[in-house]
Amino acid sequence: MWKTVLRRLLIMIPQLIILSMLVFLLAKMMPGDPFTGAINPNTDPKQIEALKRAAGLYDPWYIQYGRWVGNLFHGDLGTSYIQHVSVSSLIWDRAVNTFWLSLLTTIITYAIAIPLGITAGRHQDEWQDTAVQVFNYITFAIPGFVFYILGLWLFGFTLGWFPISGSVSASASGFWGVLGSRLYHMILPAILYALITTTGTVQYLRTGIVDNKVEDYVRTARSKGVPENVVFNKHILRNSLLPIAAFLGNTITGLLGGSMIIETVFSYPGMGKLFMDSIGQRDYTTLTALILIFGILTLVGNLLSDIIMSIIDPRIRIQ
Amino acid sequence: MKKAKIFAGITLLSGAALTLVACGKSNNQSVDETKTASKFSDTVPVKATKDGGTVKVAVETDTPFTGIFNDELSTSAIDSEVSQYGSESLFATDDHYKFTDKGAATIKIDQKAKTATITIKKGVKWSDGKQVTAKDYEYAYEIIANKDSGSQRYSSSLAELEGLAEYHDGKSKTISGIEMPDGENGRVVVLHFKHMAPGMNTSGSGYIWETAAPYHYLKDVAFKDLMASDKIRKKPLYFGAYKLDKIVRGQSVTWVPNEYYYKGKPKISKIVATVISPNSVAQSIKSGKFDVTEVIKSQWQNVKNTKDVNFIAQIPLAYSYLGFKVGKWDSKKGENVMDKNSKMNNKALRQAIAYGMNVEQVGKRYSFGLSFRVPTLIPSSFGEYHDSSIKGYTYNLKKGNEILDKAGYKKKGEYRVQPNGKPLTIYLAAMSGNSNQEPIIQNYIQQWKKLGLNVKLTGGRLIEFNSFYDKVKNDDPSVDMFLAAWSLSSEPSPADLYGKTSPFNYSRFATAENQKLLDEIDSAKAFNNSYRVKAFHKWQKYMNDEAYVVPVSNSYKIVAVNKKLTGYSLKPSKSMGNGYPNWYDVALVK
Repeated sequence: MWKTVLRRLLIMIPQLIILSMLVFLLAKMMPGDPFTGAINPNTDPKQIEALKRAAGLYDPWYIQYGRWVGNLFHGDLGTSYIQHVSVSSLIWDRAVNTFWLSLLTTIITYAIAIPLGITAGRHQDEWQDTAVQVFNYITFAIPGFVFYILGLWLFGFTLGWFPISGSVSASASGFWGVLGSRLYHMILPAILYALITTTGTVQYLRTGIVDNKVEDYVRTARSKGVPENVVFNKHILRNSLLPIAAFLGNTITGLLGGSMIIETVFSYPGMGKLFMDSIGQRDYTTLTALILIFGILTLVGNLLSDIIMSIIDPRIRIQ
Repeated sequence: MKKAKIFAGITLLSGAALTLVACGKSNNQSVDETKTASKFSDTVPVKATKDGGTVKVAVETDTPFTGIFNDELSTSAIDSEVSQYGSESLFATDDHYKFTDKGAATIKIDQKAKTATITIKKGVKWSDGKQVTAKDYEYAYEIIANKDSGSQRYSSSLAELEGLAEYHDGKSKTISGIEMPDGENGRVVVLHFKHMAPGMNTSGSGYIWETAAPYHYLKDVAFKDLMASDKIRKKPLYFGAYKLDKIVRGQSVTWVPNEYYYKGKPKISKIVATVISPNSVAQSIKSGKFDVTEVIKSQWQNVKNTKDVNFIAQIPLAYSYLGFKVGKWDSKKGENVMDKNSKMNNKALRQAIAYGMNVEQVGKRYSFGLSFRVPTLIPSSFGEYHDSSIKGYTYNLKKGNEILDKAGYKKKGEYRVQPNGKPLTIYLAAMSGNSNQEPIIQNYIQQWKKLGLNVKLTGGRLIEFNSFYDKVKNDDPSVDMFLAAWSLSSEPSPADLYGKTSPFNYSRFATAENQKLLDEIDSAKAFNNSYRVKAFHKWQKYMNDEAYVVPVSNSYKIVAVNKKLTGYSLKPSKSMGNGYPNWYDVALVK
């Protein structure tokens, strides 16, 4: 298996090179540049031109790209044109926020989805199942941004239970104070986000249980007189959780990438928000670095999924 | 020159920000509302105050702020917004932005000697207790002009200071035009200029830098590291009323009183400014989440009945305009070159198009009367420089048709043709913005159709901000006219926007007469104010008649201030020269 993993890792290199080139070119093709917003006759156009030249924006794309890749090998992601700090520190700042939000979201997602999936599978075609199905259709059908804005309006503004933006309150101090404030800022977006990402998990789990219920080994276990609870928990549930576990790798990367909408709605300073902002502001250095990271995450996520799958299901071997 | 960025020294405004703003479908706004709007006060009622308390301010932006706490290096308007509590300008101004001696320093301009003498008042101290010195002022110039610092503020206007260009090019280690008669630790600086300009006694002219930087604190940081240094990003020094206490990067700043402030300790014990999304503003005002919130105009209908807040307003130094492309920018010569044969190079046609715009109706219908027509290119905020006798182009289809008939634009079928018989299609470039932008632009196209003019949108639809300016700036042939906006510097000279050598003169008109009139405004004779007033009026008349650029509209900036606050004023004379309210005067009501 390790051979396979190594091979997969090696294949990732050309994939990433092509990805980064595409991204770099597309970014450069957008109209405007990081200095467009700075146009202002009291800032002399000549000075802006001089700064643009100094930043190398007039070099041909392959030179700019080469410079970028060269720096990359030295572990230097460049300096943000807009924020004027190193891109790595900027991303690190945001990645921490996104990581915690994603983790909380994942936990809540499973906390909601697994019981729902089990209930629906176990009580197939009974009222519990119907109720879960209805919930599933609703959350599947509502577009994320509508759902988030509704939630923000209801719980953030109308009821005033939760903060409406940011990741930490300005008045928080001390370790516990800051931690509490961070959690408080994350909880509403995490719940809202989790609620509408449960669909897949619930559906997989329900289908798995429904399918496994009629498998031969279940019938065998029942006929041997194994108690119903044990049959369900040990035989049916375990096997039904397989696809979900396998999906974990993708779920994690999906959360990082899919955080753009929720982070934008809640003005939550994470990676997704940074990505949106750097597009709007033509902050090429940040933008390209982010895409590269998202790309790596996706590829690694896929690999992780395969590895997890092969570990938990002895029938599967990746070659 | 903090004003340069705050009054936004003529930055590009997105159409969404200023032009034809507003949403909501309520179309029966009465005339009364326009009246109520103009009745806004620019100051909250004066009341007895008490010490202490926390004030929460909303910073409305979709993107986290950059947080460069230094006037020489920062460029974003949001950064100046979050630093307004500490970043005070050296000079205070009157309501027309002329320098007064009420600020931290005084300035005396000597036209004959070509100098400006700046005297920093004794007791004006940085928030670490050190006196602001002559060197601090010189250091500000060094930061701007040093190529390593990456400052965007260096300009040809500033380079009118003797020796600044040499310093900028690395030919000299000091700036020869800065004289410090009492030494670096003194409080007097004499600036020596190559030429004098009449606007020099006005804030935002661009010739004189208006803030200082703490040399004793920053001298150990290399110029190239300044912008990213913690001393600027996390623990800056200012000499204003409040000092930065805490910052959550991109999200919020907390300011506490500067105990060394030269006017005494301010009253509020904590000011917290927090970023919120513009989409959340209306709800924030209604739920009282902040004490100071700027109203988004399209949400006005939604918030105007909110209790416990005072709505105060100001007319920003800005206007939207319709520009006609009549030439090209010659980047080799660095000047605008007119094309005699260009489609829009016909005065009658331009005037008729201007008469076809029902700006007042649009303002009433789409922005609750909060936006209004601007008759001339020098807004009334500039006092006597504004020519109030000019009425501009009020909506008048009959007149428009007459002008076109007379000029030989004959109707052939539905539309008019050019005097030479060729068909006439005019391509209009307009920025996309909120949902009202589309109906507003379509409305204008309908009006022009009534004049028999075939106006089409460039590319068939509204254009995103960046692409729009890309096309307009590069004289894209698919643009015959365009709707854009300027926010103005507080020094009214229009040379930067409409001069022959100005790249921002997007219409690309460059008549000898125009240049002559512009030169008069900034000539030596114009040191005589009444001469300058006349010169301004002459130029406005000329521009109004030629209609290369037709001013369209402007709208109120409305701020919702919690009734428990007093001392908050938007008057320029009440500001500490930085374009923001003077926070030293603001306090909680007893």
